[in-house]
Amino acid sequence: MTMDRIGPPIESLTHRLLDTPPDFLDEPRIGHSGQVYATAVVNDLLLRHGSRADAAALARFRSNDARADRNRLLLVSVTAWLLADDWFVTAALPQDALLRVLDEAVAELAAATPADRFVKDPDRREELARVVLARLGHRPEGETLAQATDRLSGISGTERRRLIEASRAAEQRARAIREALAKKAAEESADKWTRE
Amino acid sequence: MIDEAIERENYPTLTDAGRDVLQRLREHPAAPAYRNQSGNRLLAADLPGLREFERETLAASVGWPAGRQPDWLPAFVQEVFSDVPWYRALGPPPQRFEDVPAIGRGDLAADIARFVPDSLPLDRLINFRTTGTTGQPLLIASHPVVAARYLALHKRALRRFGVELTHGRGQVGVVLLGHQRECFTYVSVTPLMDESGLAKINLHPDDWRNLDDRARYLDAMAPEVFAGDPISFAELLELPLTTRPKALICVSMALSTGLRALLEARFGCPVLDVYSLNEVGPVGVYDPAAGGHVLLQPRLYVEVLDAEGRALAPGQRGEIAVTGGFNFCLPLLRYRTGDFGALAHRADAPVIVGLAGRQPIRFRTRGGQWLNNIDVSHALRELPFSRYSVHQQADGSLVLRVPPGERAHAAAAVAALKALLGDPPVTAESLTGDGKCIQYTSDLAGAAA
Repeated sequence: MTMDRIGPPIESLTHRLLDTPPDFLDEPRIGHSGQVYATAVVNDLLLRHGSRADAAALARFRSNDARADRNRLLLVSVTAWLLADDWFVTAALPQDALLRVLDEAVAELAAATPADRFVKDPDRREELARVVLARLGHRPEGETLAQATDRLSGISGTERRRLIEASRAAEQRARAIREALAKKAAEESADKWTRE
Repeated sequence: MIDEAIERENYPTLTDAGRDVLQRLREHPAAPAYRNQSGNRLLAADLPGLREFERETLAASVGWPAGRQPDWLPAFVQEVFSDVPWYRALGPPPQRFEDVPAIGRGDLAADIARFVPDSLPLDRLINFRTTGTTGQPLLIASHPVVAARYLALHKRALRRFGVELTHGRGQVGVVLLGHQRECFTYVSVTPLMDESGLAKINLHPDDWRNLDDRARYLDAMAPEVFAGDPISFAELLELPLTTRPKALICVSMALSTGLRALLEARFGCPVLDVYSLNEVGPVGVYDPAAGGHVLLQPRLYVEVLDAEGRALAPGQRGEIAVTGGFNFCLPLLRYRTGDFGALAHRADAPVIVGLAGRQPIRFRTRGGQWLNNIDVSHALRELPFSRYSVHQQADGSLVLRVPPGERAHAAAAVAALKALLGDPPVTAESLTGDGKCIQYTSDLAGAAA
């Protein structure tokens, strides 16, 4: 990931995330529930950037599976809000680069962190802002390449390590639950006055 | 005598009085073969909390205003999204409850561990295994305290019919009846009822030295309550019992009006038809005066959903989904039960009207009109079958299957089906197997309602 070009000050992006309108965290449309159509949000963003996406390019922002996609589509909306900032619009970014950020980078970030934390938590706001800038080939204004690289890996690395540890702990606990359940023979459990 | 270690594990609070009840249940000359060991597993420290749960359950109002949701719901959703791995992976909790994705049995079966809260200590985790009507096996995470909480819900249901439980020390509180070739059988005591006895027995002849022992034993034990299902209760009707329980509690399968009437007349007591699920425990009790199953749990929110997971208005039939409940090992949000019905709001509590298991099946009349299986249930409900199945073949003819011992009522059932469906050919056959059966099936395209 190169960050050769100079972007906006990081604070302007984190402030924008802090000011994310609540509507962007409304429920994403999945199947027949939710109000926010992520496809429409992305389409509006691309129009603001002067481009137009075909249906195939937007397919990734449509879903019928809340378990797999809900958090990701929430973060798509938040990231679209960030990318609608004037700086990004005037930067004349290619459509495929924008779509890649909304698809791949968002999926990675949403895999283990609730989307609202990228609005409410200062570290996660900075992480999202830095990741988006970096994936578009930019670094924050006022930072050298080394500084930007260092800060991105610092803030993302700490979070990734925390997530890896949390994931390991979660897997250990799931295994412990399965073992605890398996240990008890089928009905040798405890008294109920009726049995279903 | 049983091994002391087993006794300590199964009945940690057992006193000499409780030990005497266990001995009487096991060693009565007419006792059946008890094949297994189990118990209440309750610690002394569990009992005050259980008494408080019972007090609250009996005193609380059940339900929520029509068109609104219970006050406790938002905090419960927040807690589940924070503490349960499966929900945490969905991201932040939705602002509207209706946007919480509904889940089903398949989600629990895929990995039950993901539905157990992080904050739950695992040292006393137990399981209940269920296959349901779909045959899909499922282990339900539970806890001795959760199992013991059932009693409070039963008391609430019994109170509706004027029954207060009083059996305590030296008496038998409940006998759970099975009638199947293989059945888990054991004895226990109920600490919350001053160690009244509990026996889970099998009425199947293989479990008894002498068939006459069944009535002798049950008369001698004189339980305050019999619990069972329509199959075991149909067998109970055949025994020359003189004991008079205060109530019969029927769970697991639909109880026909006819069998209920026979049982009430025979035992002179209320027969409660309780809608209960391993996943959430007793949900409702059937009350003819209320026109359906009256909800029992103060902290269980019941919705009726369409196929897309959208909540339906009162009066509309759909799949029953539950949220909340008293099983702190398995807090559920919008869990689709696989059972169908409609909600109605009555003065004292919401009611599930027209409860039926499984996806509805439509039957085609000879005139080409489709009728819901509920109509078939209504047509046959006065007949005292313990269970039956109706299958419509591709040519529109019907096959009625009833237990061999209940063939005497088959002619009446055939006549009722012919009257309902415009006189199609109906064949009566014997229903084999001793477990649950899929009640309604069809070969006709378009039969899935």
